[in-house]
Amino acid sequence: MLLEVRDLHVEFRTRDGVAKAVNGVSYGVDAGETLAVLGESGSGKSVTAQAVMGILDTPPGRITGGQILFQGKDLLKLKEGERRRVRGAQLAMIFQDALSSLNPVLPVGDQLGEMFVVHRGMSKKDARAKAVELMDRVRIPAARERVRQYPHQFSGGMRQRIMIAMALALEPALIIADEPTTALDVTVQAQVMDLLAELQREYRMGLILITHDLGVVADVADRIAVMYAGRIVEQAPVRDIYKTPAHPYTRGLLESIPRLDAKGRELYAIKGLPPNLMDIPPGCAFHPRCPMARDVCRTDAPALHQVADHRVSACHFWRECLDA
Amino acid sequence: MPEPILEVSGLVKHYPLTQGILFKKQVGAVGAVDGVDFALGRGETLGIVGESGCGKSTVAKMLVSLERPTAGAIRYKGEDITRLSGRALKAVRRNIQMVFQDPYTSLNPRMTVGDIIGEPYEIHPEAAPKGDRRRRVQELLDVVGLNPEYINRYPHQFSGGQRQRIGIARGLALRPEIIVADEPVSALDVSVQAQVVNLLDRLQSEFDLSYLFIAHDLSIVRHISDRVAVMYLGRIVETGTEAEIYDHPTHPYTQALLSAVPVPDPEARGHRERIILSGDVPSPTNVPSGCRFRTRCWKADERCAVDVPVLAVPEVFRHTTGPAAHASACHFATEWATGPAV
Amino acid sequence: MPEQPPYEPEGAVAGTGTGGAMDLAASEARSLEPTAADPRGRPRGLWSDAWRDLRRNPVFIVSGLVILFLVVISVRPSLIASGNPLACDLAKAQQGSQPGHPFGYDGQGCDVYTRTVYGARTSVTVGVLATLGVAVLGSVLGGLAGFVGGVWDAVLSRVTDVFFAIPVVLGGLVLLSVVTSDTVWPVIGFMVLLGWPQVSRIARGSAITAKQNDYVQAARALGASSSRLLLRHIAPNAVAPVIVVSTIALGTYISLEATLSYLGVGLKPPTVSWGIDISAASPYIRDAPHMLLWPAGALAITVLAFIMLGDAVRDALDPKLR
Repeated sequence: MLLEVRDLHVEFRTRDGVAKAVNGVSYGVDAGETLAVLGESGSGKSVTAQAVMGILDTPPGRITGGQILFQGKDLLKLKEGERRRVRGAQLAMIFQDALSSLNPVLPVGDQLGEMFVVHRGMSKKDARAKAVELMDRVRIPAARERVRQYPHQFSGGMRQRIMIAMALALEPALIIADEPTTALDVTVQAQVMDLLAELQREYRMGLILITHDLGVVADVADRIAVMYAGRIVEQAPVRDIYKTPAHPYTRGLLESIPRLDAKGRELYAIKGLPPNLMDIPPGCAFHPRCPMARDVCRTDAPALHQVADHRVSACHFWRECLDA
Repeated sequence: MPEPILEVSGLVKHYPLTQGILFKKQVGAVGAVDGVDFALGRGETLGIVGESGCGKSTVAKMLVSLERPTAGAIRYKGEDITRLSGRALKAVRRNIQMVFQDPYTSLNPRMTVGDIIGEPYEIHPEAAPKGDRRRRVQELLDVVGLNPEYINRYPHQFSGGQRQRIGIARGLALRPEIIVADEPVSALDVSVQAQVVNLLDRLQSEFDLSYLFIAHDLSIVRHISDRVAVMYLGRIVETGTEAEIYDHPTHPYTQALLSAVPVPDPEARGHRERIILSGDVPSPTNVPSGCRFRTRCWKADERCAVDVPVLAVPEVFRHTTGPAAHASACHFATEWATGPAV
Repeated sequence: MPEQPPYEPEGAVAGTGTGGAMDLAASEARSLEPTAADPRGRPRGLWSDAWRDLRRNPVFIVSGLVILFLVVISVRPSLIASGNPLACDLAKAQQGSQPGHPFGYDGQGCDVYTRTVYGARTSVTVGVLATLGVAVLGSVLGGLAGFVGGVWDAVLSRVTDVFFAIPVVLGGLVLLSVVTSDTVWPVIGFMVLLGWPQVSRIARGSAITAKQNDYVQAARALGASSSRLLLRHIAPNAVAPVIVVSTIALGTYISLEATLSYLGVGLKPPTVSWGIDISAASPYIRDAPHMLLWPAGALAITVLAFIMLGDAVRDALDPKLR
């Protein structure tokens, strides 16, 4: 395993109390593999990624348990200096909002080149040449001229390409993309996703794709981890999960997508609201919204059951769910 | 189509580009909307889809008189409302209401839910007698699926989905005939979107509403709409019934848009024909000559740079009766061989 | 009817952010637990939140107590000082501390303790009135300019620029030297005249921000009048920054009054003011430092207290500014 997160716990201390954002998350990614982490806001998908990257705001955030093994080393045990060397060179991240992730007063070429100056000790001139090369790689037309331009002179899709170029710069082993195409238009989204997938194959990188979009996931992921209230509720290869979900939450999400044959009828809707992280329901966190909930769900938190090879579900009644 | 309740013709909105601080000088114009025609039938839902910057939100704002059109007419029951002001405009406003995209900014954080939903009655006192307002607000809360006892709470005590229900209740307060919904679910969590779509659906039949439903999520638009208009760079490029647009698109832009939508089915991976458009939408300050889509279109030739295609049933389909015979603004309109995506 | 939109009886829990750390920002808002919900549904808005924060803030408690004390002795100085600040005995000039007169006497033989206590009234009066004037004038002009926009806004912006360009002390020396009144009004008027642009800028900015919110658009779409938009939707949402800036500015007005009085253009005797006393004492700082230290110390503590209060109010009203 390239990256293995083991039983990670993260809390946030706010003035209203302690929010349990991540409550025992474990997942892993291999080189050349795409793991999609699917969840709604508040599910802990982004917080987990921030913990892996080491960019969690502490305080108010606090990692209260678990391990993050990257190439066998526990990142949480490294000193800040060592951690910083891993970040950027080995681990890179792409954010949703490219405009706010780029420095508005620096030409994009300088920002791309900085990676090489800082991590590789290159001269400014060589770094600039590298920046042009990278912009070519992510298919920004007229890279040689545009390298001197500022972020606001690029469109949303082009800015996201620059973010990808920046993440790729040092040929990291793993990229975490947090909703990389959510802010983009559909036609541009497809371009960017294709580019990302292609580069990932080429460099044989691991990719963690964080998203709430079931469509994007189906197109690119190898495996999917579905998160709810800071836990992984189901993890499976992509085909299995769409064909036969083994958790009622996953099933609810899939069924609530408008489909052609449901035209004119009511959409299936998961009832209720996502939980309050300061007051996560006891037992299975999903039970107040679950159509299958029984007494045991209100008291006992389900363990991760092995459903099949490479497939787990955190539901007491996963068998029933598979058959349904 | 049922009898039209709202007819839009030749709608144009240009924002002036100015220079100077005290004495502003116009140096150009941004054509946000550039000649849009459509009609909305009573009790029907018209979906408008398009990418950011296509002008769909500007159309919405003009319909509810938040923006004044530069040119064109909006006829509500035959009367052009773009020239109205004062009392007459206020009267029309009772009948055309809006639901906003962002449930976090569309509710005043300093007002209670009761004040927010009751505000329409304060602005239009003739709509409900004073003593009756509280009861009506509680009824509205009930109608949108919220507990009527929440009347004294503040917006920040609610989740996004609940806030959107409050916004919908406010839109319903004056019993309008038309509701313009600008991306009403796109800011909501996936599991809550379906709840709100269902609510809108139910309210439509309960209150006999006509919807103008603006969204970029093509699958939700398909679910809720009777007819669909596709916008690109300030113009409608194709319009027809939901089935005509989604199953038999003839405009290249619509085809590309539909093919780009990610399908939640991993089995379809690699089996779908996808049209990946190159480049970005041109800036509205500098629109291409002729057909606006030609800079990204794989079918474009010299004619497209000169002749502006009109929105009508294309020549090739004019004498057919199939679903491809619907309005499409393309010189080279053809049916798409591969099946639909959404 | 299988999929009826649910009642969501779980009460009020927020669950939508835009991802990332926002997940948790949203959770800060979800304060009301279903069980904790007050049966009357008592609201918790900006003000009650701010008050709850303030009560727990030691900076607020300390500065608040100091200010409360200052206000009390401004209203009733005789509570702690029985003498008359204008009853002086030249024979006792510059004498140091002695029983019954802990701060000693000043150059005119007046009791420094009594004068320091009575000086608080002037400082607090000038500070509070100048702040009120600045806040009202600035927020009305700035708020209107931001709301109306266009030419009015452009004109007002240039006018504020002009006022910003006037050096305060120089302006005071020039303008106030022609005034002969011995009341506090010319000084307050001068402060309002030079102070309003600062508040007007803030008010304009927050009015513009508030104006762009969808809830203002929603009210417009309902046909709300301009006055309704301003009073009901924009003002309540734009007032917090004005309050913050005004509270912080209050301390600076107090010190400005002392500065102007020191320079001889502010308040004039027989008004009792720390600035006047500091000015009168400064030639004798080597021989009789007590004459300077007591009023100067009182001034420093007062200004500090108001600035600390302003800081605490800012933290409470706008945690993001911290």
